[in-house]
Amino acid sequence: MTPKLFAASTVSLLLATVAQAADSGPIVIGVPVGLSGANSVVAPSVVQEAQLAVDEINTAGGVLGRKLQLEVADDASGAAGAQKAFDSLIYQKKVDALISMETSAARNAGLPAVSKGRVPFIYTSFYEGHSCNKYLFVDAWVPEQQVPPIVDNFAKEKNAKTYFLIGSDYAFGRGMLGFTRSYIEKTGGKVVGEEYLPMDGADWTPILSKLKDAKPDAIITSTAGGAPNVTLTKQMRAAGINLHYANLAVDEGTAKSMGADATGIYLSASYVTGIDSPENKKFLDAANKKFGADLKTPNDLSVPEYEAVYLYKLAVEKAGSTDPAKVIEAMPTVSFTGPRGAIVMDKQHHAPLTMYLGQVQSDGTVKVAATFKDVDPGEQCPNLK
Amino acid sequence: MLLLLDILTTAAILFVVSVGLLAIFGVLKIVNFAHGAWLTIGAYCAVVAVKLGLNPWAGLPIAFVAGALLGGVAELLIIRPLYRRPLDAILATWGLGIVIGQLIALAFGRDVQLIPNLMSGTVRVLSVDYSVYRLFMLFAALAIGVLFALTIEGTRLGLSARAVIMNETLARSLGIDTDRVRLATFMIGAGLAALAGVLLTPLTSVDPNMGVAWLIGAFMLVMVADTSYLALAAACLVFGGAQVLVSTFVSPVLGGISVAVLAALLLRINPRGFSRA
Repeated sequence: MTPKLFAASTVSLLLATVAQAADSGPIVIGVPVGLSGANSVVAPSVVQEAQLAVDEINTAGGVLGRKLQLEVADDASGAAGAQKAFDSLIYQKKVDALISMETSAARNAGLPAVSKGRVPFIYTSFYEGHSCNKYLFVDAWVPEQQVPPIVDNFAKEKNAKTYFLIGSDYAFGRGMLGFTRSYIEKTGGKVVGEEYLPMDGADWTPILSKLKDAKPDAIITSTAGGAPNVTLTKQMRAAGINLHYANLAVDEGTAKSMGADATGIYLSASYVTGIDSPENKKFLDAANKKFGADLKTPNDLSVPEYEAVYLYKLAVEKAGSTDPAKVIEAMPTVSFTGPRGAIVMDKQHHAPLTMYLGQVQSDGTVKVAATFKDVDPGEQCPNLK
Repeated sequence: MLLLLDILTTAAILFVVSVGLLAIFGVLKIVNFAHGAWLTIGAYCAVVAVKLGLNPWAGLPIAFVAGALLGGVAELLIIRPLYRRPLDAILATWGLGIVIGQLIALAFGRDVQLIPNLMSGTVRVLSVDYSVYRLFMLFAALAIGVLFALTIEGTRLGLSARAVIMNETLARSLGIDTDRVRLATFMIGAGLAALAGVLLTPLTSVDPNMGVAWLIGAFMLVMVADTSYLALAAACLVFGGAQVLVSTFVSPVLGGISVAVLAALLLRINPRGFSRA
């Protein structure tokens, strides 16, 4: 063998081995989530669902023969923390995908790193809509899916004509209530008040006094999850306000921790633990078996995480590799039937979802009052192919 | 009417939250930045009391005692060694506050704690239905204020404390055990903070970070009031009223910062704030 041929074959052998190693190690999924800050109450359930999905998939043989691995990072529920978390996951841990639930502030801060690092990102949190990026996919609801069931129910079943809107002052709060206002006005109702408090504000007194003066038929709120929900509801009940009350941002877990004050609250969600389907039963059994007493109630913020991991698995298998360009091309075409039913992110990177209108009972559970099948997310990202 | 009640009850709540901080600032001449953490400790004492099956009201004495004891430990181990370095002592209390918050999160988890309200419902006050608990806070603030005044004007400890506030070196030279006065004051201030934490539970979500939101407001009020509890009451009324008025007629977002902005303006114009001493 000539020296040149020897050198060439050694180099190509080395390259092949390196390429082989890259293709046979674990597939790393990064989960930037609010372990501290406003989302810290929900984050544990999100991490649990991701772990459950990863364990199930690995037990069944992994993805393309490779095991899935989770890398969890704290984004402190905000923009500054998200920048650090995304940078460390994308550039240090070199994750193959990001799958997580975050505040809108955190998501918006992380998107530039996602584009630059070319990492598929499945966002599993409901949000205010219209966040568009070719690497971003959303398997949770947007206002077009969550709000109409509530407003329609209030207008038709309860004859509500005037509404008072209260929210936290950030993208989600303002986005949701902005959409709610236009939907109410489009369907013939009237908004008699719209008030916001900063995300960490705890004193709703002046707003509640304004609400009392305005005498609306119904209240719709969209605060940040966790503490703001609790303080608003507690203070509202203490002020003796017992009007029809729909909360766009509360989940079963938070509702339970509010105790008696939460009774009667309406919520509209794509997941409630009471969904009567074989997939949901199988899912709940597996979750209870894996986590036992430590299980954090699966909710509308954590179940989409479970399904998103499966959707990523299906996309990688269809694409035949973890190459970002191939994966994002396959992503809108794969369908996974999970606890929430069949999920396909084919409407401009968003997914049609079945929505459930529920009411919190006095024992903290949520009773389903009405079901709306496959609600369309509307025009979220018309500029995406 | 609603507006007037809102102003009075907001002022009352601010007073209850800040009076502990005032006591510590007056005598020890440092700002206890762990004040928010002590509010949280108090609230969690109420949580524990309920878990043990006691009446939620039992949380009040338990919190005061627990807060005072922990305050004593903090004063002996952290504040006293830093006696000659007050700026470092202030920084140390900031760190202490963070540590306490994390310890509570480790012990109880980050979840919001459920605790039955001390009082619920509304009562008719001159043509408006108002929250019974907020009206109770008015009386609580008056009661705490009166007890505080009696202690400072009528007891030996109060006399020694006033001497230390006026001039610590002179007080020591007169034979007053200033170390004991500082310890007792810190314990009372911490106990009052914990007590305030219990009183806050029906108004806010009980989680490891609940005290932080109150710290800045309390700090600003104490800066304006300097060492006088009457000045603190006046400050709470004026600034609390401004907060409610701005929130009602301008926007709640601006209302949230009105206490801080007004305090800064007032101190710029008159550095002694509301206190006339």
